[in-house]
Amino acid sequence: MKFSYNWLREMVPGLKLDPAALERLITIKTAECEGVEVVGSLLPTASVARVLSVQPIAESHNRKAVVETERYGQKTVVCGAPNCRVGLRTVYAPVGLKNIGGVESDGMLASGSELGVNQDHAGIVELAEGASIPGEPDHVIEVDNKSLTHRPDLWGHLGMAREVAAIAHGRLQNPVQLDLLPEGEPAILVEIADLALCPRYSALVFENATVQPSPLWVQYRLESIGLNPINNIVDVTNLLAAELAQPTHAFDADRLHGSTIFVRRAEAGEKFAALNHETYELNPSNLVIADAQGAVAIAGVMGGLHSAIDGSTTRIVFESANFQASSVRKTSTQLKLRTDASMRFEKSQDPVNTTRALARAIELLRDVSPGIRLVGGVADVKAEPKTQPVIELSVAWLTRKLGRAVTSGEVRGILEALEFGVTEETAGVLQVTVPTWRATKDVSMKDDLLEEVGRMIGYDAIAPQAPSVLATPPLVNPERLFLRRLRQMASAQGFTEVYNYSFLSEDAVRRFGMHPEDHLRVTNPIASDQTLMRLSLLPGIWKNITQNSRHLASFRFFEIGREIHPRPAGLPDEAPHLMAVVYSREGDGSAGLFELKHLAECLMPGAAVESAEASEVEHPQRSGRVEWRGEAVGRLFELHPALGVEGRAAILDLDLRHVQRLEVLQTVKYQPLRRYPTSAFDLSVVVLLREPAGAIERRLRTSAGTDLVAIEFVRQYVGAPLAENQKSVSYRITIGAPDRTLASDEVTAVRDRVIEAVRQAGYQLRI
Amino acid sequence: MGIEQVQTAALERILAASTAEELEAVRVESLGRKGALAQFSKEFGKLTPEQRSAAGKSLNAAKEALEAAFEAKKTAFDRAALDQRLNAEWLDITLPAPGIRPGSLHPVTQIQNEIEDLFTSLGFAILDGPEVETEYHNFDALNIPADHPARDMQDTFWLDGGNLLRTHTSPVQVRGMQTLPLPLRMIAPGRVFRNEEVDASHEHTFYQLEGMMIDREVSVANLTYFMKTLLGSIFRREVTVRLRPGYFPFVEPGFELDIRCLICGGPGCPVCKQSGWVELLPCGLIHPAVLRKNGIDPDEWGGFAFGLGLTRLAMMRYGIDDIRHLLGGDLRFLNQF
Repeated sequence: MKFSYNWLREMVPGLKLDPAALERLITIKTAECEGVEVVGSLLPTASVARVLSVQPIAESHNRKAVVETERYGQKTVVCGAPNCRVGLRTVYAPVGLKNIGGVESDGMLASGSELGVNQDHAGIVELAEGASIPGEPDHVIEVDNKSLTHRPDLWGHLGMAREVAAIAHGRLQNPVQLDLLPEGEPAILVEIADLALCPRYSALVFENATVQPSPLWVQYRLESIGLNPINNIVDVTNLLAAELAQPTHAFDADRLHGSTIFVRRAEAGEKFAALNHETYELNPSNLVIADAQGAVAIAGVMGGLHSAIDGSTTRIVFESANFQASSVRKTSTQLKLRTDASMRFEKSQDPVNTTRALARAIELLRDVSPGIRLVGGVADVKAEPKTQPVIELSVAWLTRKLGRAVTSGEVRGILEALEFGVTEETAGVLQVTVPTWRATKDVSMKDDLLEEVGRMIGYDAIAPQAPSVLATPPLVNPERLFLRRLRQMASAQGFTEVYNYSFLSEDAVRRFGMHPEDHLRVTNPIASDQTLMRLSLLPGIWKNITQNSRHLASFRFFEIGREIHPRPAGLPDEAPHLMAVVYSREGDGSAGLFELKHLAECLMPGAAVESAEASEVEHPQRSGRVEWRGEAVGRLFELHPALGVEGRAAILDLDLRHVQRLEVLQTVKYQPLRRYPTSAFDLSVVVLLREPAGAIERRLRTSAGTDLVAIEFVRQYVGAPLAENQKSVSYRITIGAPDRTLASDEVTAVRDRVIEAVRQAGYQLRI
Repeated sequence: MGIEQVQTAALERILAASTAEELEAVRVESLGRKGALAQFSKEFGKLTPEQRSAAGKSLNAAKEALEAAFEAKKTAFDRAALDQRLNAEWLDITLPAPGIRPGSLHPVTQIQNEIEDLFTSLGFAILDGPEVETEYHNFDALNIPADHPARDMQDTFWLDGGNLLRTHTSPVQVRGMQTLPLPLRMIAPGRVFRNEEVDASHEHTFYQLEGMMIDREVSVANLTYFMKTLLGSIFRREVTVRLRPGYFPFVEPGFELDIRCLICGGPGCPVCKQSGWVELLPCGLIHPAVLRKNGIDPDEWGGFAFGLGLTRLAMMRYGIDDIRHLLGGDLRFLNQF
């Protein structure tokens, strides 16, 4: 929303603040401003001028004109405008001497767009006899619309002027003169089907209107706040919206059928040709203004094409109504049609404002369309007006909430400047009456008044203050601590953390052997490749591998993220997973797998990997189940070569909630240090090449018995004299007792027992 | 030969020895059990007590002198041997070290950890919430009813079944109010989603940190205090903050918090768009309707809430000019942190 500084100053006479200072104060006390822009900078020096003569210039479309200016005497200028003609009353701007195509031009004749008063650049300004030019440049303060969401009143200059008056301790001059409203029977009837959807509809009928361009001051005002001047009647409706925040609409009365305006829901499939030359198909959730034949406007959004004002219009039905915010908002969203009117109505406008706007319209229309006449009185159909809320406000409560002492005098001054009614029957307790334009949604309780007082005092006047609270240790969040420890551990082991998106495409899901229909689907995805919520981190991780392998020959990274598993009802299950990767362009890939196994052991001391059937994304001979404390917690595998990664990528995938649960179960208990010496012996077991070492070790462990202290893998050997399909795996087995030194025959007995078990398993021993 | 001649001769040989072995041979020959000096003591029996006493003294003197000379020479040999070994063991430790370099944590994780630690030290609990939320938790419970303009359809990702991807971490506030005992202090960091086109400064997936305190007496002055403390810690220097009105349906009054521009310090520069202030976070006193909806009596309790853009802070901290890097997974970017 753009605010004209000149306009605001008309309503706050004697305003001393310059535009930049005002902008800063509005930002701090009212709403966020986005800057100040100067418009009409040529205006202070411009002069009314009459063209005395026009002569062609050879080989140029330009002409040489002599003009008589009101301020600078006679001047000769070069002018390219087609409408430059003898006798024309126009505008001269002293922009200095310039040589244009060999002809000297002393200043220029200006178009509307050059002056900044409108967008007309087809020719120079044509001033009617007696018309003057606006003399002042303006400063336009742009306010962020989002910061006006809750303030229906600030969608007009009057609302902002009220703030400015309060900020600058000035006096507000309200331009509305209600005594202009005519008495008597209205010349048009109004029927409202549902007063909840349309709490008030007011209208006036005018005759003898002349539709023509607005005077320059009107055009300039609209232009400076970013609106296009159209014609005098339409411009008045736009001025009213910009001034009073009340959208209005002018119908050509001769193009309305019947003498009644109906406010009703649209019929299903009702077609409507709008002012913007689009046709909309409506439904009963849309509210329309209709005449005897059909819709003539979408209520609060846009008028109709066929009842619009044009050059032939003489009689006008001037609408000033109030519509329910949510209904306008729904219709505008549904039709994808946001207008200056709908933006205002969806903020909950004040129903009291409709007749104020009509009063102001009378004054403005008389100015822009001399000779225009009122017909009849005001048509005004409305719901029972709401009682104005009265809020009890304790000054002591304000002081506590702000953390700064305030007095009733101070509070009263602020609220009254904003036109709240204030009485104080009990000292320190104010009864505050909310003005109607703040009562539609914005202000309804004491906390809202807290904001009014706080912002006008200035929050910078409140010194930061530590609260007095009990010093209690916060609740511990074990999951957070766990995840943080994992991240630290993984990064210390060389892995870099990545974040991936939660969205996947159907193609990606299929590529990794999953089914799109198993995924939670986004109803309104931002792109067709971001339609599904990830059930696995793998597709994202795969993309990371593919992209990084273009630049790097080897790398390690990990992600901790949530898999989203849909459930039949309620919220989906969000399962935190860790996925870590070791990639190498060269090599046989085994190092990466063992590095990840090492990472798993760092995260979960004692974790094991057991062979397990590979999924279709896993290398069938290089995949396993990660187990910890007897439960499966994840997978370790090499990415299947069919997935198109050049080089080898080893992947560890852990279900972190599972890991964390097992971790919590663990309590460390101290074991006394061993006081008696232990004994050790080595065994080399010869097995088939693909016999998992884990199985051999398990066999050794169970057969060694209670005196076992440690089993340590020593080496693996393949080659002569072993057969080609064999390998030898060597272990050092350490045994001992806590209370004595084992005798040599006891050691021998354990060794014999282990050897026997190894043989029974069908393994050979290499002595 | 008398004792003195033997001593002199041995001393010469000790001094002349060029190897440790040679030295040891001299020691054995002169000081050993069967050495030259030992021979003298065997003949002491033939001497008178006076002669014996005199001979004993000179023999001891000779032994001591030789032993001292021997030790000195041996020490010299040892030192030379050690020097030689040390010299031979020259190693070029300017060569690069083998082994794996540590990886790094995501810049957002790093900022998040810092802020979590700060708030933990101030007595705030850290809460988690789901990324897929109900409409109720994300909107209704936060005083954003269905027809509210703040709930623009185009900003929210909706999911089949009627749930949505949380558009802010504020629903965790709701969960906090429903589960934690009063008074409460909590923060909730996490991933949030907005249905926005992605460009250098907009992402549909980013990170926020929500904070809330509820107690008997909580004032605007308290809020300012916490925000000043928080931001001073994040930026590692004293910061000047200001509050100005801002509209968010779940707080009343609502504020935008600005900090004095850290680049120019106030006079204005391109970073602060010449205003001297940088908008940093929205905050406010919790709206009584939000308290009431979550079973808390606003006449007894009050509080403040704030939302911090972790992604934005990380970008400010590290000077990252393109938000897309953060979820881009490019290790050349991530390894810098």
